[in-house]
Amino acid sequence: MESMKQKLVGIVGAKNVLDSQEILESFSKDQSFAVPMMPLLVVKPENAAQVQELVKWANETKTPLVPVSSGAPHFKGDTVPSVPESVIVDLSGMNKIISINRQQRMVVIEPGVTYEQLQPALAKEGMTLSTSLRPKANKSVVTSVLEVEPRLNCLHQFNYTEPIRCTEVTYGDGNQIFTGEAGNGAKDLEKQWEQEKWQVHSNGPQMVDMLRVVIQAQGSMGIVTWASFKCELLPTIKKMYIVPAKKSTDLEDFAYKVIWSRFGDKLYMMNRAYLANLLGESSDKIADLKEELPNWVAAVGISGDIMLPEMKVSGQEKDIAEIAKLAGLKFLSAIPGATGEEVLSKSINPSGEKYWKQTKKGAFQDIFFITTLDKTSKFIDAMYELAIEAGYPTEDIGIYIQPQHMGTSVHLEFNLPYDPDNTKEVKKVKGLYEKASREMSKLGGYYARPYDIWAGIQLNKDAQSYEILKKMKNIFDPNNIMNTGKLTLK
Amino acid sequence: MALQDFRPMMERCSSCAGCKFIPFEKIKSLRFGENCPSIGYYNFMTYSARGRFQLSQSLLDGRAELDDTVTEAIHSCTSCGYCDIGCKITRYNLEVLEHNIEQKAYAVENGKTLEGQKPVMDNLAKENSMIPGTKKANRTDWAKDLNLKDLFKEKGEVAFFAGCKYSYDPKLQKVAQAAVKLLQGAGVDLGYLGAADNCCTGRAHQMGFYKEFEKGAAGNMKAFQTAGVKTIVTPCSDCYHAFKRQYAKLGSDVKVLHVVEYVDQLIQEGKIKFTKAVPMTVTYHDPCHLGRLGEEYIPWEGKEKKIYNQIHTWEPKRPRYNGIYGIYDAPRNILNAIPGVKLVEMERIREYSWCCGAGGGCNESNPEFSAWTASERVTEANATGADAMVTACPWCKDNFVNAVDEDGNKIEVLDIIELVQQAM
Amino acid sequence: MALSREIYQALEAIVGKRNISDNIGVLETYRSIPAQGSAHYGPSEHWTPLPQAVILPATTDEVKNVTRICNKYGIEFKASTTFWSTMGYIGGDYAIQIDLRRMKSVEIDVKNMTAIVEPFAIGATVQAEAMKVGLNLNIPGVGCSASTLANFSSWIAFGPNSISMGQGSENILGMEWVLPSGEVMRTGSLGSGDGWFCGEGPGPSQRGLLRGIFGNAGSTGVCTKMAVRLHPWPGPTSLPTRGSAPAYKMDDLGDNFKCYTLCYPSWEAWARSIQYFYECDVVYSGHRQFNMFGRDLKAYMLKIITNPDGQLADLETLSQDPYLQKQNENMKFEYQIIIAGYTKRDMEYKEKAVEYVLEQTGGWKNEMMLEKDMHDYALLYLTRMGHKNLNFVMCGAYEGTFGLSGNVWKAIQVAEEAAARKKYWEQNHTHIAATGGESAMGSLSGIGGGGATGWEFFVNFDAYDKESIRGTYEFINGNQELHNKYGFGPDFCRWNSDVRHMNGYNYTQEEHDAMFVNAPQPWVYAYQYKIREALNPNNLCGTYLRTVDPSKLEK
Repeated sequence: MESMKQKLVGIVGAKNVLDSQEILESFSKDQSFAVPMMPLLVVKPENAAQVQELVKWANETKTPLVPVSSGAPHFKGDTVPSVPESVIVDLSGMNKIISINRQQRMVVIEPGVTYEQLQPALAKEGMTLSTSLRPKANKSVVTSVLEVEPRLNCLHQFNYTEPIRCTEVTYGDGNQIFTGEAGNGAKDLEKQWEQEKWQVHSNGPQMVDMLRVVIQAQGSMGIVTWASFKCELLPTIKKMYIVPAKKSTDLEDFAYKVIWSRFGDKLYMMNRAYLANLLGESSDKIADLKEELPNWVAAVGISGDIMLPEMKVSGQEKDIAEIAKLAGLKFLSAIPGATGEEVLSKSINPSGEKYWKQTKKGAFQDIFFITTLDKTSKFIDAMYELAIEAGYPTEDIGIYIQPQHMGTSVHLEFNLPYDPDNTKEVKKVKGLYEKASREMSKLGGYYARPYDIWAGIQLNKDAQSYEILKKMKNIFDPNNIMNTGKLTLK
Repeated sequence: MALQDFRPMMERCSSCAGCKFIPFEKIKSLRFGENCPSIGYYNFMTYSARGRFQLSQSLLDGRAELDDTVTEAIHSCTSCGYCDIGCKITRYNLEVLEHNIEQKAYAVENGKTLEGQKPVMDNLAKENSMIPGTKKANRTDWAKDLNLKDLFKEKGEVAFFAGCKYSYDPKLQKVAQAAVKLLQGAGVDLGYLGAADNCCTGRAHQMGFYKEFEKGAAGNMKAFQTAGVKTIVTPCSDCYHAFKRQYAKLGSDVKVLHVVEYVDQLIQEGKIKFTKAVPMTVTYHDPCHLGRLGEEYIPWEGKEKKIYNQIHTWEPKRPRYNGIYGIYDAPRNILNAIPGVKLVEMERIREYSWCCGAGGGCNESNPEFSAWTASERVTEANATGADAMVTACPWCKDNFVNAVDEDGNKIEVLDIIELVQQAM
Repeated sequence: MALSREIYQALEAIVGKRNISDNIGVLETYRSIPAQGSAHYGPSEHWTPLPQAVILPATTDEVKNVTRICNKYGIEFKASTTFWSTMGYIGGDYAIQIDLRRMKSVEIDVKNMTAIVEPFAIGATVQAEAMKVGLNLNIPGVGCSASTLANFSSWIAFGPNSISMGQGSENILGMEWVLPSGEVMRTGSLGSGDGWFCGEGPGPSQRGLLRGIFGNAGSTGVCTKMAVRLHPWPGPTSLPTRGSAPAYKMDDLGDNFKCYTLCYPSWEAWARSIQYFYECDVVYSGHRQFNMFGRDLKAYMLKIITNPDGQLADLETLSQDPYLQKQNENMKFEYQIIIAGYTKRDMEYKEKAVEYVLEQTGGWKNEMMLEKDMHDYALLYLTRMGHKNLNFVMCGAYEGTFGLSGNVWKAIQVAEEAAARKKYWEQNHTHIAATGGESAMGSLSGIGGGGATGWEFFVNFDAYDKESIRGTYEFINGNQELHNKYGFGPDFCRWNSDVRHMNGYNYTQEEHDAMFVNAPQPWVYAYQYKIREALNPNNLCGTYLRTVDPSKLEK
C-alpha cells in the first residue's frame, strides 16, 4: 500500500494523493441505490501527462481506476467503485478553460470545468453552451456531454453527441490520442491552432469514431482530459412560452409539428410534479405549486441573437401560437404558478448548492431511457400502474420528456422523490425502481446510458451488443482497469 | 460503325447509373423509379448499358468470349433505348443504344444468336415477315375489302404501311382496317404497296441482324421509289422508327407519319369529328419507337474535336437525340379530344417511358423476360386506377394483352385507333 | 486460385442459380477502371481484379450465409450497391463481389422522421418516398443516384443540405450490419429490439467501430439495413418539374422556396457571409455548385445545361457572349443557397436575413441566376442533388483536388494559390480541361449547423486518353506539396491512395505499416488494426481500413 502510494505521489505529487477516511468514504457511495464500496485512494492529477502515467501504472499493477470529474453528490452509481481496491481519479482539479474562439464558436476545456464556471466566460465573448436541464452547480461539463445528458434544444443536436466535438483521451491501455478532426494533426493543441485547426469536427479521426468509444461509457474505456465544444451565440432576446395540457398525449402533435417546423430553440414537456420540483425551491413551495400548475406543460423557448432577432422571435411566436391553436392548445407566457421567464431561468441556470431534485424530499431516484414521443404514453401509463401497485404516490412521480437528436427520439425520465431517512419509503422506492426499470425495458424502453442495474437489464436483452461491447473493452482496456465492473452482466 | 469504333465511348462511360433509372428528377416513387428492363429482370450489371460497354471491352480485348451466357446477355435487351436517354441526361457524347445494338450485331456476325431468334429470322428470309408461321401470300389479306389503291398500279403519294403485326394478327387486322377507314373517311387518298408490301425489317436491326435489315430496307426503299411514294403512314411504331430513323440513315427521303400524327392533324383540321362519348379513364403507354426513338434523323458527318484541352465534342456540331422530339403529344391530343375519356398518366412516361418488353425481338427470343417487362408496365398502369391502357403499337398491345400485374390482375389494352373508332 | 465447385455450389444454394455467376463475361462487368469514375486516389487506367464470382443476395440472412462461407474458406468479399466508385470493388484475386441491388426497400416512420432503407435505395428514391409525407433527407454531393445506405455507412456523405440536416454520420440511427464472421450486429436500440430510433450504445457507441469521419468503405462486412434521420420538407408531395430532357427545371414549388446565387467582392467577404449563415439557421441547402465548371466557364456551361438542345460544342460560341462573360466575373466568389419557409412569416424572415448578410458583407444576388429558368434549374439541382450528374458532363471523368475541407477562413487563404497552380497547369499542359484555374465546389458546411466546409477543386480529364489520365495524376500528385505547406493533410484526390495500389490490388499489412507508422498520431491506425482483428479476424474485406500492426508502435 505504501509503495503504491509512493508511486502515485511520484506521478501526481504528494498533495494530490488523498487517503483520509472521510474522503474515501465520500467516494464510496452516492445518492443512488448502488452498493457502496470503499476505494483505496483518491488521486488528483493536474494534467493529461499525469493521467496517462496513472493509467499506465494501473495497467502494470492491474489497479482499477474510477474517473470522477463532477463534484459530489452523485446520483447514478457510475462513480461508486464496483470492485475493491479501486483508485479514484478525481479530475475536478483540472478545470482550465483552455481556449475560447468566437470566430469558430468553439471552446476547449478540461474535465473539471463546471457550467457555473464556463457560462460567464463564454458570455463575455457573446456565446453560451447548451445545457442539460438545470445541471448540478458542480457538474462537469465534459462529463455531462460525454454521458449524453439530454440537451434542451434537440434541433441543434445534429450529432447524437452534440455539442462535444474533439477530445484528448487516454484509453484504458494507456495510449493517449486526440479524437475527431484533432486526431489527424499534431498531438499538440498549440500547433493545431497555429494551423488554424480548431477541433470542430467530431467524427473520426479515421474510419472509426474514437469519441464514440468513450461516450456513455461511465469512464469504463478511458479518461478524457480536454474536450472541445460547439457553442451557441448568446441570445439578445430570449423568451419561454408554456403550453398547458391535461394529458401528455395532448402535446404530442403540437411537439411534432414544432420540431418539424424547426421553430424555437428549446422544447420539452413535463408533468406537474416535475415542473413543481424544477421551480420550487422548498418542499412547501413545491407543494403549493402542485396545487396551481396544470397536469402537463410543453415549454417552448424562442431566442434571437445577431440576425434580425426581433423579426425572428416575433414571427416564431405567432407561428408557434398558431400550431398550438390548431392542436387545441394555448401558447402562454405565464400560467398560474409560473411564468415562462421563471421556467427558462430555472431550466438553463445551474442548480443551487442543493441539487433541485433533492428539494422535495431530500433524495430521489430517476428512471430514464430513450424511446419515441408517440410511445411515451404507454410507458407513463405503465409507470402509474407500477407505482400504485408499489404504494408510491403517483402524484409525486415527476415526468420529463426531452426530444433529442432533432426529434427522432426522446429521453423519457421518471423522477421518484423520497425521504432518505424513512427506511420504509426507501425500500418502497428501491423496489419500485428495480421493478419499473425492468418493466420499462420490457415495454421497449432503451437504456442507451445503462447505469447501475440498467446495464444488466439492457445487456441481457441484447447478447450480440454485449459480445461486441466486450470486444470493444478488450481493445481499449485490455486489462479491465477502467471503472471495472461497470457495463457488465454481473 | 463496328464494335471497336465504340471503344472511346466504352472507356468514357462514367458509371453514373443514369442508364438504370428514370431521370432522377422525375422519380416519384421507389416502385417505379427504375428504367432498364434488362437489368431489372436479370439483375447483373452485365445487363445494363454500363455493363454492356464493359463487356464489349472485354470481348474486344479477348478476356471474355461469346459463350452462351454472354450471348444471352447481349441479346436480352429490348433495344427500348431508355438507357440512351438516361445517359444523355448527363453525358453529351455517348451513344449507348447504338452500342447495345452494335454489340448484338457483333454477336450475330460471330454466329452467336438465341434459339428463339431463329424462327423469326428464318421467316423473314422465307416469307418476308418477322412473325413465325406467317406467309407472304397472306400478307395483304387484311386489305382485301378496303378501297386501297395499289400504288404500283394506280397513282398516289400516301402509302399505308400496316407492318407485319397488323397484317397477320386477326384481332389487329381490324385495327389496321379501322385506321384505313378513318383516314379515308377524312378524305385522305390512301394507297398501299400491294405485292411489294414487305416487312420493314426494323426489328431485325434492333436484334443486330444488320444484313437482313439492310436487305429489307433496300428492297422497300426501292419499292417506295418505284411506286412514287412520298408519304408513308403506319400504325406500327416499330415500322415508324425503321422508316423515320433507320431508312433515313440509308438515304430515304420519304416522309413518315404515324397514324396518331395524321389523326391528330385531321382532328385539328376538323376532318375527324367524334360523335359518341366514351366514358372511360385511360392511361397511355408511349411506345419506345414512337416516343423517344421516334425523333427525326438528321444527317451528320464530322469528327471529334477537343476544346479547352480535354472537353471532347464534334466538328461540326453533331445532332443529339435526347428523345424529347418524339411523338408524345399527338396521341394525348387524340385522347383528350375524345368526349368522355379521361387521361391519367403513369409515373414513367414520354422519353422515360417503360418498355412493353416486345422490343429487340425479346417477345420471341426471351419470352419470360418479355412477359416480366410487360407485367411491370401493367402494374404501373393499374396503379393509376385507369380502366384501360391505350397504346399506339401492335407489339406493345400484343405483349400487354397477355400480361398480368404483380397481383395477377389484367388491364384492358386498347389500340388508340380502337378508342377513336368507339367515339365515331 | 479459382473458387472450387463445392464453394460455388454452397453459395448458389444460398441465393439460387439465377443470382450467382462465375461466367467470365459477367464477371468482367464487375471490374472498375478508377479513371472512369470518382476514385479519390488519383486517376488510374488499371482495372480492378476479376472476382471469382458475383452474388446477389436478397435478404440479410442470405448476406449472413454468404459471409459465413467466405469466412470459412478465407474468401475476400466486398459488397457494393450502385458501383459508383472503385471503393465498392474487390482488391484481391481470391475474392467474390456481392451486388446488393436486390435489396432496396424503404420504410418511413413519418412522425419520428425516420426512413429505414436497404442498400440499393438510392437518394432519389428515398427522397421521393420521404417527400410524399413532407420529409426530406441529406443527399450528399455524390448525388441522388448513389445509395443512401452506402453513403451514410461507408463514406462521408455531406452535401448541400448538410448545413441544415447534418451529414451522413450525424443522420445514422439504428443499423443492421453483417460482420465478416457472419454475425449480425444491430446497433443501439435495434439490438434489443426496441426500434430503429437510436443508433448509439448501449453504453459506448459500438457504431463507432464501423464509421468515423469516413465510413470504412465496405472493409468490415456488409451494412444491410439502416435507419436514417429525415428532415422537414415544406414542399409538395412530389417534385414538380417542367421542360425537357436533359434540362428539366423545377416547376412551381411555391413561394416558400427560393434559390439564390450569392456573390461577394472578395474571398474574405465570402467567408464572412458563410460564417453568418453558420450562425442563423436560415439556409436549407448551401452549395458552391456550378463553379465546378471553373471560374472561366461556369456561365457558359449553365447556359448549355439549361437548354435541352445545348451541347458542349456551344462552349466556344457562348464564350464570346459579353453578357455571359460579365456573369462569370460577377460570380467569381459565389455560392448557391436554398431558403425554405415553413410559414409565410418564416419565409419573410429568411428573405430578410439573406438581405442582411448581403448588406453586412457587400454581397449581391447574381442577376442571371434569378432568371426563371436558371433559378428553377438550380433549385431542382440542389434539391434532388446531382439529378444530372454535373461531375461528368464536361469530360466524363473528373477527380477532386485541393480538398480544402474544414475551416472556411483557412481555405480562402489557399484558394487563389491553388487556382494559380491549376491555371498554370491548364495553360502549360493539355492533360486537364482548361476551365479557369479556380474550380472549387462543395458544401457550405460538411457538418450540421455549419463549421466546416467540404470543398474540392474539380479537375476534368478524358478517361479515354491515356496521356490525359497520366497527366492528371501527375498534376494532382504535385498538389500535395501545397497541402503539406498549409497543414491540410492528404489532398482530396489522395483520400483513397493509401487503401489500394494503383493497379487495383490491396496493400499488404507491411505496406500499410510503413505508411502509417509515422503519422502524427499513429495509434488510431493501431486501434483500427485491433478492431479488424476483433470483427474481421480473417481480414476478408480488402484494405480500405487503414491499419498499423500495434507491435510496430509498441517498439
